[in-house]
Amino acid sequence: MVRKPKTIFEKSQEGQRAFSLPKDSKAWDSLLPPQSYLRKEKIQLPEVSEIDLTRHFSNLANLNMGIDTHFYPLGSCTMKLNPRVTEDATQFPGFKGAHPLAPKETVQGCYEVIVKLIKELCTLCGLSAGSLNANAGAQGEFVGIRMIHAYHKSLGHTHKKYMLIPDSAHGTNPASAKMCGYEVITIKSDPNTGDVDLNHLKENLSDKVAGLMLTNPNTLGVFSPNILEISKLIHEVGGLLYYDGANLNPILNVCKPGRMGFDVMHINLHKTFSTPHGGGGPGGAPVLCSAKLAPFLPTPWVHPTGDTYHVTWDAPQSIGRISSFFGNFSILVRAYLYIRLHGHYGLRKIAEMATLNANYLKHHLSFLFNVPIKTFCMHEFVVQADRFLAQKVRALDIAKRLLDYKIHAPTIYFPLIIKECLLIEPTESESKNTLDHFIQTLKTIIQEIEQDPELVRTAPHTTEIGRLDEVYAAKALDVLE
Amino acid sequence: MDFISNKLPQIKEMLKDLQVPNINALLQNIPETILEDPPLDDDGLSEYEGIKLMEQIAEKNNFHQLTSYLGAGAYEHHVPSIVRSIISKSGFLTAYTPYQGEASQGLLQTIFEYQSAINRLTGLDLANASLYDGASAAAEALLMMLRLKPNRSKLFVAKNLHPHYQKVIQQYIDSAEVELKLIPMTHEGLLDFKRFEKEMDDQTAGVLFSYPNFFGAIENLEPFITLAHQKGALCALSSNPMVFGLYQSAKDLNIDLVVGDTQPFGIPLQFGGPYAGYMSCKKEFVRQLPGRLVGKTQDRNGNQGFVLTLQTREQHIRREKATSNICSNQALCALASLIAILWYGPEGVQKLALTNYQRAQFLRQELGKMTQVELLSEAPIFNEFVVKLQMPVQRALDHFRLYDIEAGLDLSTFYPEMKNHLLITVTETKSESALKRYIEVAKKIW
Repeated sequence: MVRKPKTIFEKSQEGQRAFSLPKDSKAWDSLLPPQSYLRKEKIQLPEVSEIDLTRHFSNLANLNMGIDTHFYPLGSCTMKLNPRVTEDATQFPGFKGAHPLAPKETVQGCYEVIVKLIKELCTLCGLSAGSLNANAGAQGEFVGIRMIHAYHKSLGHTHKKYMLIPDSAHGTNPASAKMCGYEVITIKSDPNTGDVDLNHLKENLSDKVAGLMLTNPNTLGVFSPNILEISKLIHEVGGLLYYDGANLNPILNVCKPGRMGFDVMHINLHKTFSTPHGGGGPGGAPVLCSAKLAPFLPTPWVHPTGDTYHVTWDAPQSIGRISSFFGNFSILVRAYLYIRLHGHYGLRKIAEMATLNANYLKHHLSFLFNVPIKTFCMHEFVVQADRFLAQKVRALDIAKRLLDYKIHAPTIYFPLIIKECLLIEPTESESKNTLDHFIQTLKTIIQEIEQDPELVRTAPHTTEIGRLDEVYAAKALDVLE
Repeated sequence: MDFISNKLPQIKEMLKDLQVPNINALLQNIPETILEDPPLDDDGLSEYEGIKLMEQIAEKNNFHQLTSYLGAGAYEHHVPSIVRSIISKSGFLTAYTPYQGEASQGLLQTIFEYQSAINRLTGLDLANASLYDGASAAAEALLMMLRLKPNRSKLFVAKNLHPHYQKVIQQYIDSAEVELKLIPMTHEGLLDFKRFEKEMDDQTAGVLFSYPNFFGAIENLEPFITLAHQKGALCALSSNPMVFGLYQSAKDLNIDLVVGDTQPFGIPLQFGGPYAGYMSCKKEFVRQLPGRLVGKTQDRNGNQGFVLTLQTREQHIRREKATSNICSNQALCALASLIAILWYGPEGVQKLALTNYQRAQFLRQELGKMTQVELLSEAPIFNEFVVKLQMPVQRALDHFRLYDIEAGLDLSTFYPEMKNHLLITVTETKSESALKRYIEVAKKIW
């Protein structure tokens, strides 16, 4: 029998409902807007009771792999444990019910979280000032690049029109730079080391370079040993260095972006600081910078004056506003508690253990796959599935087969520069047993490839549904009930 | 404390396999000059100490004794209990973006249903999987209209759109090399058609209205929309989605694109975020839509399922040529809004919108009878309205606080010319007795 999932719209039964509302005064019955302003058609929403609504979504929740239930070695996404104590902290009425425009004397606790989180993050990253107003990583990048733009503009440097971005960077980097009006120059990576190709970087340096966006360690898990030289080169042409904090996890209190020479950066709170991914958001993206860029941070600014906190709504050199209010506040609450629970030594241990777990996996997988970068990695690494191409098995097939073994697939085909790659990030949360099980499972899959490649090519077989036809979806474009 | 599994016995075994003496040996790429010493003296808090610390900070917020009439883009509504119960389920809370569709059918189906529910409210053809918030959604709407009208270089934004949204729009549009014009307001805070008519031309790509406007009023937008369409421009609304439970839908208004924030449905105030932006449009514009989109598909055995679709618009594939840099959506917040919308259902959404209107209208009507009060305009409202007082708003607010009432928002902080103007928001959370008390106190102190 073929699977034909019923949407909630198809579960509608006439007259059923879940809602209740406070009673209205009879005297209000006559209060109605002018007829011509009223909605013309009934709203076509399903009619469902609370039990059916509960069951529908509870059952849907069970169809997803999550960190709570599955090992999730998704590279560059840092899928670590989401501690529930940080969820609990968001539920205090003082946080949950706070209005963002409430008078400042009534929301001092919210301001305190903002100020103290910025301070912790600045200490951690070796930078001077920050803003928590951006809603997610890509918006944080946009803010950072806007600040670079504003800085150059303040110096009258309007000729700076290029943003340098390595070919291993996340797709958001070039997209954000483009939104800020920059032309993107892609810098090659050295195929042996995985690091930025220094010669190619030098060839593209000029007075017109506004900056370089760098992920360090990069998306191959390689920490650039040349970082200090790269920083020097960019600064020599008057450019600024942007740090993409997507991969901050393995350098927490190991080394600091500020000391590497970065001028501005963003952090993905849902990665390093373990706020829940929520199926793709909400995120949270603090932007930190050096003192010279601080005047350009987005407003509003929260700052302490004596014993109380104040807000500056507008500032002359600021790039201005980026979000409706103060960013994703309840995400900030979670991240702040996460930091305080660990302490700065706990954060260092995260970095060390994330690095150990990744290298342990990499070492054992190097007997099974081609490993393009031979040196020790930081928190993540790539392996290549290209040696199975003769059996017509690709990285995608291995990823799908992993799902059958109740393991979430690693990131595949990213970074774009490595053929048939799997990008694997185990995180510090995972135990040695889990890592060993992962290694064993990949061994099994490789045996399957040798004995019955069709089994792998057509995976997954035990999931809710078989391999989905993406081309069909784009053609049919059936996007609503 | 920490959440690290492996301890000394495992660490020893792993290091042995790696043939290195310690973890520091793995950090060989990091220049020694920037390598930090471990900060041994700060090993954090216990779980109990941590949660107590947060409780103490939360208690420094002391707004609880106040009955609040604040709104302006962040609304106090009842959040049905079912919402938190569902969004706390690990299959939603701890999952990542559903790139592996076969292992994410639940998430994908909820996004599909969210898209459908938003579409049912707006009346337009389709909706995306959500954007960051109402402000960035408004900015993305303008950028999208520019992409749809590539030969045009002018955009209009209503001056009575939320001032924060206007600022975020400026942020996003700044690099786009377009002329951004505000549609001026009359002294009643309504859009000025005569002045719009003069400036509207065939160079305009799109116009963004606020519905209701920042002052809570529902304007007659018909002449504006007709004129804009005559000139070949697109029309977008920034809307509190709850308004569609009562007032004309985007479809009724012949709108091309509608955006806004779904916070009023199922998302607590939580000091301004996370909320969720929504975007809904006519289907011919789908290829210029920013953000994620879920569609139906099937596997090779004909089993039906859901998958992320039209990903070639997005940054992870198109990089600098993408329709937006957006990478995430606000999946969990969108889910919260979906559940709240479904909990209310067709009848409930309508009744909820009506009761918001009636409570606000009752208060407006009663305050309007006072000789010390002037209403900003006579236009219909949704759940907010503006009164002009004969005293500075800050003084009025201070007086109200003595009666445990946060009476509204001082508009002069947003529009300096609007001295003595107070924005009052009323939702279903304000009972008849609370409203009567507001009136009583107003009579005492205004």
